[in-house]
Amino acid sequence: MPTMTTTTETHLVREGSELDRREFFTKLGLGSLGVATAGTLAFYYQYLSPNVLFEPSPIVNAGALDRYPLGSVTLDVNSAIYLVHLAEGYFSLSAICTHLGCMTAWKPELNMIACPCHGSRFSEEGQKLAGPAPRPLPWLKTWMSDDGELMVDRSVTIPQFQFLRV
Amino acid sequence: MTPPKDFTAAVGSDMRASQRRVLFVTRRTSPQVKVYDEERVQTFSEVLIRALLAVECLLIGLVLMSLFFNAPLEGIANPTNTPNPAKAPWYFLGLQEMLHYFPPVVAGVLIPGLLIIALIVIPYFDINIEAEGFFLKNRQQRLMLSMIVAGSLSIFLWFFDVYVALAPTVIIAALMLLAAFSSPQSPGRLRRYLALRPIFWWIMTWFLFELIVLTAVGTFFRGPGWSWVWPWRS
Amino acid sequence: MPGTIETYFDKLERTRVWRSIFRSGKGTSTLHNALAIQQNVFLHLFPTKVRKRMLGLGATWYLGTLTLGTFIVLVVTGILLMLYYHPSVPRAYSDVKDLQFAVSSGLFLRNLHRWSAHAMVFLAFAHMFRVFYRGAYRAPREFNWVVGVFLLLVTLLLSYTGYLLPWDQLAYWAITVGTNISSAVPLIGDKIRFLLLGGHLVNANALLRFYVLHCVILPLTAVVFLAVHFWRIRKDGGLYVRESEPGAASHEQQSSNEEQKTR
Repeated sequence: MPTMTTTTETHLVREGSELDRREFFTKLGLGSLGVATAGTLAFYYQYLSPNVLFEPSPIVNAGALDRYPLGSVTLDVNSAIYLVHLAEGYFSLSAICTHLGCMTAWKPELNMIACPCHGSRFSEEGQKLAGPAPRPLPWLKTWMSDDGELMVDRSVTIPQFQFLRV
Repeated sequence: MTPPKDFTAAVGSDMRASQRRVLFVTRRTSPQVKVYDEERVQTFSEVLIRALLAVECLLIGLVLMSLFFNAPLEGIANPTNTPNPAKAPWYFLGLQEMLHYFPPVVAGVLIPGLLIIALIVIPYFDINIEAEGFFLKNRQQRLMLSMIVAGSLSIFLWFFDVYVALAPTVIIAALMLLAAFSSPQSPGRLRRYLALRPIFWWIMTWFLFELIVLTAVGTFFRGPGWSWVWPWRS
Repeated sequence: MPGTIETYFDKLERTRVWRSIFRSGKGTSTLHNALAIQQNVFLHLFPTKVRKRMLGLGATWYLGTLTLGTFIVLVVTGILLMLYYHPSVPRAYSDVKDLQFAVSSGLFLRNLHRWSAHAMVFLAFAHMFRVFYRGAYRAPREFNWVVGVFLLLVTLLLSYTGYLLPWDQLAYWAITVGTNISSAVPLIGDKIRFLLLGGHLVNANALLRFYVLHCVILPLTAVVFLAVHFWRIRKDGGLYVRESEPGAASHEQQSSNEEQKTR
């Protein structure tokens, strides 16, 4: 019996370096596999995000100023923006509800903007009055072109109450 | 003299009906082995024919429905005009009802995410294995615990005006109260039944109840601007 | 002449070609019936024998079987519908209109696809609750329950991605609302939405992506999970039975009666 133990011990000692080497190669293999997986995921991510999109331009020409009389809220359905003319000046609001992206509508009889999906309500200045919307309707960058027409950039939001005075 | 064997072996004998069983009982113990054979039928062809019949019955129903009711198809997609109300498919209306009360992060991500995780871990929790009536042991303690949970949930829902989800919670809490003051010997079948319900039964039944109520409300009781309407008044 | 058809079948089953396909051989013995299950790549997912009391309507209500049935109906009708459908804007909508009014039986197939989809969602939910209330998720069936939860999710996703394909108002706004929920995920929400739609708006890219998900990726996922789901029923000891149920008690009585007889 004692002889048997010694043989196993020497066996184990010899296996030590063998195990180290084996573990090293295992780690190397798994590591390179991990790098390859990360690379594949990055590849997929890049492939799946389109670089060229055929989407309408964010800059909208809203037309001459006199189309928007004082105290009016006008919805341009094609570009999904409101053009509002109050005593303080002109401004434009996004018409897309900040809750889940439904298109809101101006209710003149209630003097407020209402979302049909989940019942959010906003004031004509975009402030949230009721419902689940988390944020007020964003104010969009508005300026006057050289030809005297209102221009709106839908991709740029500006702080609230920055009126365009003419 | 032969040394005593340290195991005994036995062979099941009904070889025609099922596979052979070989049983080794080691170390001279005398375990009680309760053996009974369930009556089994062959999958081919008896079970398959029954399954086929069931599917055929369903198919007949679906075909009749398809012949008499047309699938809805509205006007072409129009990004400039949101229909009022815009409703998701019926199985998401419970979720949409929640979206009416809570911000999207809570109602759209947190609640469904937690639900899925809760469903997945069900079989790995011992709470789901214990099959005794919940209030048969430690009644007072457990009653207090469940009332605290139900109460705080109700106050939370009440605070956010979610009366639609509040009602099922209160009803389930009331039934739990009834169960706590019932026992398997109580008069009345309902009380005896409730007294024997384990805790996971109560949780799942609450969830199922909420699911049905929220889906039904979203489907039938919500009109323009997600306002409350009575379906029979339209 | 009823005998003739039988003899034809008899002859057919004895041909070399038939026997090369179905190896279980002729006969209705226990062995033959077991081989018919075991030697078939599709049927071998199922156990060769089933406890008799699980066949009653009350035990399972056949909810799992019926869910599979709706899935098969959906695959068949879906493939047929694909033959007349172009996943592009605005062609998709006019294709669905054509299916309704110009294609023979197109209306019926679309109806069947739609109602079966609703039925499948309902049956999958019903199956889940039924399994839960019977306690069939307990060991050793835990993992099969998890597979079932994934199958429920795949079913919901299948139904949801299919919802966009007609490109009508209902579809457009349901997907707009639904994908905006995904942008509520903290930090990466907008990225998820962008990848899902292939753009910032629900548009032609989104339609194509949902089409591929609905017709290829999700059905394949469902089939793989279904195979595991069925196979695990067999591996986990067949359909779940509760020992406390009256069926078990009567069997115990039967076996003790038999014991008495042998004595």
